[in-house]
This record gives sequence, structure tokens and C-alpha cells, in this order.
Amino acid sequence: MKKFMSLAMTGVLVLGMAACGGTSTESTEAPATDAATTTEAAATEAGSEASSEASSEASTEAGSEAADAGSTGTMEGFINVISREDGSGTRSAFIELMGIEQKDESGEKVDMTLPEAQISNSTSAVMTTVAGDTSAIGYISLGSLNDTVKAISVNGVEPTAENVKSGDYVVSRPFNIITTENISEVGQDFVNFIMSTEGQAVVEAEGYIPVDGVSAFEGTQPSGDVTVGGSSSVTPVMEKLVEAYAAVNPNANIEVQQSDSTTGVTSTSDGLYDIGMASRALTDDETALGLTPTVIATDGIAVIVNNENPISDLTSDQIRQIYTGEIEDWSELN
Amino acid sequence: METNKITVTYKKSRFSKFLTAITWVAAAISMVVLVFLVLFVLIQGVGNFSPDLFALEYTSDNGSLMPALFNTVFMVILSLIIAAPLGIFAAIFLVEYSSSTNKFITVIRMTAETLSGIPSIVYGLFGMLFFSSALHWGYSMLSGAFTMAIMILPLIMRTSEEALMAVPDSYREGSFGLGAGKLRTIFRIILPSAVPGILSGVILGIGRVVGETAALMFTAGTVADYAGFLDSGRTLALHMYVLSNEGLHMDKAYATAVILMVLVLGINALSGLVAKKLTKG
Amino acid sequence: MKSNYIRETVMKVIFFIAACASIFAVILICVFLFANGIPAMGEIGFFKFLLGTEWRPSNDIYGILPMILGSIYVTAGAIVIGVPIALLTAIFLAYFCPKKIYKFCKSGINLMAGIPSVVYGFFGLVLMVPMIKSIFNIRSGSTMLTAAILLAIMVLPTIVGVTEASLESVPQSYYEGALALGATHSQSVFFTMVPAAKSGIVTGVVLGIGRVIGETMAVIMVAGNQAVMPEGLLSGVRTMTANIVLEMGYASGLHREALIATGVVLFVFILIINLIVAALKKGAIQHGD
Repeated sequence: MKKFMSLAMTGVLVLGMAACGGTSTESTEAPATDAATTTEAAATEAGSEASSEASSEASTEAGSEAADAGSTGTMEGFINVISREDGSGTRSAFIELMGIEQKDESGEKVDMTLPEAQISNSTSAVMTTVAGDTSAIGYISLGSLNDTVKAISVNGVEPTAENVKSGDYVVSRPFNIITTENISEVGQDFVNFIMSTEGQAVVEAEGYIPVDGVSAFEGTQPSGDVTVGGSSSVTPVMEKLVEAYAAVNPNANIEVQQSDSTTGVTSTSDGLYDIGMASRALTDDETALGLTPTVIATDGIAVIVNNENPISDLTSDQIRQIYTGEIEDWSELN
Repeated sequence: METNKITVTYKKSRFSKFLTAITWVAAAISMVVLVFLVLFVLIQGVGNFSPDLFALEYTSDNGSLMPALFNTVFMVILSLIIAAPLGIFAAIFLVEYSSSTNKFITVIRMTAETLSGIPSIVYGLFGMLFFSSALHWGYSMLSGAFTMAIMILPLIMRTSEEALMAVPDSYREGSFGLGAGKLRTIFRIILPSAVPGILSGVILGIGRVVGETAALMFTAGTVADYAGFLDSGRTLALHMYVLSNEGLHMDKAYATAVILMVLVLGINALSGLVAKKLTKG
Repeated sequence: MKSNYIRETVMKVIFFIAACASIFAVILICVFLFANGIPAMGEIGFFKFLLGTEWRPSNDIYGILPMILGSIYVTAGAIVIGVPIALLTAIFLAYFCPKKIYKFCKSGINLMAGIPSVVYGFFGLVLMVPMIKSIFNIRSGSTMLTAAILLAIMVLPTIVGVTEASLESVPQSYYEGALALGATHSQSVFFTMVPAAKSGIVTGVVLGIGRVIGETMAVIMVAGNQAVMPEGLLSGVRTMTANIVLEMGYASGLHREALIATGVVLFVFILIINLIVAALKKGAIQHGD
């Protein structure tokens, strides 16, 4: 079906090119390249989505380095380094743990991520880029990982929830909820639920690492409205928690607002949210506002490469060198 | 120079063939791009349709788009109620009540163009600080609708203005000549003949509201439930953005995009019908 | 008679108030933007901020020259690619399109206007980025060129819609007059109808430019977003809008104000563009045709 679609698309393009051929001026230049490029895109798409044989077909057509990479088992070419935006919870945790954040002479911490690194603004943008680019490397939340990309082992340890929990897998960060002293009764009840055996079971079921030392939930079933908002990374697990809580306390009406960590913090202090969510630790400025952070889960950060990339294990030192630009070519890693 | 060309060329000149050809080529490019876009969305989305998507209540498992669909329609209507009269009336003032050399008019035009160039994220921040915080509307449909209204106001205003200016002066003169007052002339003669132009602006405006994410995220919020005036609710585009953001529900996000496209098609068809009715009546 | 007069006056006042709404909105936004942005500019240093080539918020280094250039380049690219195609498409729709396919084309263009920018973003990310990469054989397909092409696509419906409407409102008699003078169909269209619709076309292009400069969600997905000086068509680039959207969510303190100041710069840019367009229009009116 998809093959047929891409064929049909190619057909449309050929027609388009034929139409362009009719005229002979500079304006035909643009359409011709346009059409040519889109044909290739159709081929690439067919490749990435159809079976593996179709994909090898497509990559030979495109004549990219992907073909030799797949056949020889080694990787060559420039590394396309993908990072997240400055200040993202995922990025701060990643650069700190990987030693990409280094102290300069004056003792100030400097983010050494190479300036040429491509910046993506969301987990899915990182995944889509890496899935479509054989030479790319990126990092995402472990809970979002799927089979469109390959998560590599760091220092020989696979990125699994167990390994994060045991501490063998070093790249992880906390999920926080933020509350003020004026939290309503029902809000407090919900927080109690999150920090109970039942709540942490939900966290674990979603692929995140639960907090230890919690006890069973003893709800008082208060009624009222609660608005929870903040980090988009925390939102998926928070939605599950809200649904689970609704089952034990049907009196409460809890809304989940997805924005980002900082909005989560500031809106909680402004009173727009009752409970804020942040995928990073609070800054000193923020704790000074009288906010209380509570860690509700730990999330691993998976380092991902394209599925066709034969590399499956890197040391954290190698990852640091890639992200600071000391290693620029995949061949240096073979 | 231009008139020279017209007089010296002949009917079957290569030049006019060339002119015809480049419009065909340009249109072909636009259409090919369009077909690609649509196929892209369809291929990614149609395979992921499931009855779950249309469940009445949203849960994190079914990713239902019904609340978002409702909110989208609600948001479009609300923001049009605010922006359309403002925009059209402003255009009437500009065209019918003032001479085009007036300084004040230049200022209004400039501000409208400035508004149309402000990035949506800035609207979002402004809306959050002004409507949500300063006016204490919180994350709500009302905050969102007012923000959207400011955003599409210049679009509606400018297109309405163009449409009104295009109405031949003979219409006005004829109407005044028959003894009709200014208001009557405007509402009975000028507005009806300007409807297609005005409508094209309104449709573009609807398109922007339907497709907007950045500004609404900060004003209307992202709660996946049926919203009232002062409740937070996500529109379809925002729903799609939220679904796609963490990469957990990409399939549902694309399926939502298909529905969004169908919705836009529906709106266009509807407005076409309305235009027909209005121009006839 | 008197009640009529009152009604006329009341309506005139209403129209006037409506016309003032946009001024009111601009003032509100101005106040908010400037109040938040100007102090940051002062703190960083006006020229350090505008002409600084380094952006490292975590170390309090805020120079937005790369982003200013990025926005200019990407916008120029999108206009160069998009405007000719959009104008010609509008002319095609208005005068050359066979009746049979008109409806399809028209609703297609309108459909493009309603596709959310996130979808355009993924379209660019999934199709265009790998394509550009393999054509030019470069490190990454997320380049200035990719962003410009994607924006050119996104701006099509706006320009086509407005231009076509203004073309259609040119009186038919112009066209007939040109034909009567011996011009062909296409000559009449290009040299009589199009100049007559100039004001509407300029409006369409200005609205389009506004959309291009202001576009964020799609651009951040395909532009690479490196906060370094753009090196060429095939290098990554970060626009001012991308800068705001990328970091606003996390920023606090001076960083946040620096981002709002970026918004102020953007705002001033749009003002300048509008002034230029207004001057051009004025010149065109004075010279006549």
C-alpha cells in the first residue's frame, strides 16, 4: 500500500517535471530541482517505512553513505550531533552527567556543547531527526523510547529501568512536583496518592523509576478542583496518575496543563497551578519563592542513534567528546 | 514601457505563451506541494484511525479528539465574534469615513500591519500576562479567544479594507443618488458586494485560529476536556502538538492531523455556501 | 430625519472605535514588550546585545546578531522562493485556471492555510531534511535552505488568497479595454490587471512576510537552531522567533528578559518593514502608472 502510494507520488512528480520541461527559462530551474528532490524524498520515505529490502533499495537509489554503513558494519562520516535547547531539563541533566558542563578558569560552569550541534525543541523532534538520519546522535527521555531509533548502552550498561534504579546506568534526572504552603485539602490528598505505593506503582508501570520508601494510600476522599501543570516530560505519567487517582477518589476533579518546567514553577507561585511539574531541580531563585519540590520519580535519559547505525555501545567519555566536538567522525569510534 | 509592449506584440507571440506557461508552472508547483502535504498527512494518519479517537471522554490511553474538536469550534466562533465585527467595522471606517491621505488612517494601517507581523509566541506571552494574569481569567477559552482575536484582527481588517475599496464608486454614487443614507448604502450596497473579499479574510483568520498552537498554549491551556468560557481547553492543533511532543503518541497525532484537515475543508465548503447565499440575497 | 442622523453618528463612532482597536492592541503589546525588554537591553549593553555574536545564556552572554541575521536570511530566502510562485499561482487561479479544476485548486490552497504549523514541521523533518542532506551530501539536512523552502510553502495560501481576491476585484472593463487595444489574454492580465491590483498584492506580500518572520513551530523543527553566525545556505540557522520559543519555557531572570528583548527587536524589524512598504506604496501612488 505504501509502496503504491510512493509510486503514485513519483508519477505525479514526473508529470510535474514534464510540465516544467515545456518552458525554457530561468524559472524552470526552481521547479525542476523541486520535482527532482521530491522524487528522492518519496523513495526515502518508502524506504524508511516499508520492509528492510525496500529500504536498502531506496538507499542505493539515494546513493548515500548509509548503504555502505549497513553492509560493512562500521560507520563513517560526520556525526550529526543533536542536542536539546539550553535550559531543557533533559539537557541540563545530560550535560552535567556526561561532563559536557565544565568549569572554566574562573570556576564558572560552562556548557561545552559544540555550537554547531543541531538544536531540537522536543523529544519527538529529536527522535524523528535521528530516525531519518543515519549519522545522527541524540538523547531523549527513557520513557519515550520506541523502536524507530536505537538506544545505545553507556559504559556497557543498557538503558533499562532496572539499571537506572540500581545506579549502573548513570544518565538520569528527577521528576519533581512543586507545591506551595496554601495547597488545598484535595491537592494534598492527590500528592499523598502520588507518594503512595499505589501511585508509585503507576510510575513504575509507565517505565519510570519509582521512589523508595512509600506506604499505602489512605485517602480521605475530599472533593474539589485541582490544576496540575508544567513540564511536558512529566505530563504523560501525571495523566496516568490522575486517572488512577480518579478511580480511588471520584470526588476530585483534576486538570492537567502541559507547558514546560519553568512555566510550571512560576505558575505555581502565581497561583495559576495548584501543583507544578518540573523535569529538573529547582534553581535557587525558585526555591526562594517558598516553593516545595518533591521528587515523584526518576527518568533515565537514553542516548539514541539511527537503527542502521552499527554502533551499540559508547563510553560516557566518548559521548562527551562527541558533544564537545572532539570527535567529529563516526570512523573515530570504530 | 509597459504599454509599448502591449502595442508591439502580436496575438500569438512567444512572449504571451511564455506568460501563460509560467502561471501554469507556478500553479503546478503549488499543487504538487499540496498533494505531497496531503498525502504525507494521509499516509501517516489514516492507518492509525480507531474508534477510540472518537470516544466521548479523553483518557491517556485513547487520546480521544472529541473534546479538542469541540473546543476548536468553540474557539473559532468565540474569536470570530470578537474579531470579525471589529475588523469589518474598522475597515468600513477606513474606507467609507475617511480620506486615504489622512494621517490617522496611516497610523491605523501601520498598526494593523505591525500586529500582523508579531510572532504568535509573543501574542502568547502577552495574552498570558494580560488576559490570564492581569485580568485574572486564568488559562481559559476567553483568554485564548481574545488573544486569537487580536491576532486575526489585522488579517480580517486588511482583507475587508481591500474588498471595500474594490467596490466601484459608482455603486456609492448610485445609492446616494437614489436618496439612501450613508449607513443604508454601506449595509445594503457596499457590504454585500464586498462579501467574497471579506470572507476570504475571515477564512484565512479561521485557518490561523485552527492551526495556532504557540499562542494558545500560554492562554487557553492544554486541558483535554470540554471547556466553558472560563475553563481551560485544548484545540485540535494543540491536542496534536501535545500528543506529538513527547513522541509517545505520534500515531494519534497524525490521525488528529487528518481530522484537522477534514475540518478545514468543511469550514471552507461552508463559507463558500454562505458566500453564495449572501451574494444572492 | 433626526433619528436617522443620530443613528448615523452613533454608527460612525462605533466604526471609529473599531478602527482604534488595533491601535489599542498595539499600544498594549508595546507597553508590555518594552517594559520587559528595554531594561534587559540596558543591563546587557545595547550594542553588546545587538551586535554580540555569542549567545550563552548559562554564562550571561547575550548577543543576538546570529539570530537577527538568521531571521533576515530565512525570510529573504522564503520570499525569493515563495512570492513569485504564490503570485503566479494567484494569477493562474484568477485568469488562467480551467473551470473544471478551479474548485479543486482553490479549496486545496485554502486547505493549506488550515494545516497547523506543527504538521508542516513534521513534513519538513520527515521528508525535506533527509532529502536536502542526501542531495548536498552534508552533515545535517537542517539548514537555512530547508527552512526557507518550508516557509515558502507555508506562506503560499496567505499570499495567494489575498492576491487572488484583489485581482478579482479589478473591474472587468480594464481587461476588455486591453483586449480591444490588441493585447493577448495573458498580456492584458499581466500588464493591465496585475498593476491595477497592486495595492492588494502588496498587502498580500506584507501579510506573507509577517507570517514568515513570525513563524516558529515549523522553523524550529527544520532550521537546526544553532546559535552561531550563519555560514551559508547549507548551514544551520536560528531565527529570533526560534530563539524565543526554544528558551522562553526555561528562562528566568535576565535570560527571560533578554528573550523578551529579542521580541522587541523583532517588533522593531516589523515596524521598519512596514515603514519601507508604506514609503514604497506612497511613491508608487505619486508616480502613478
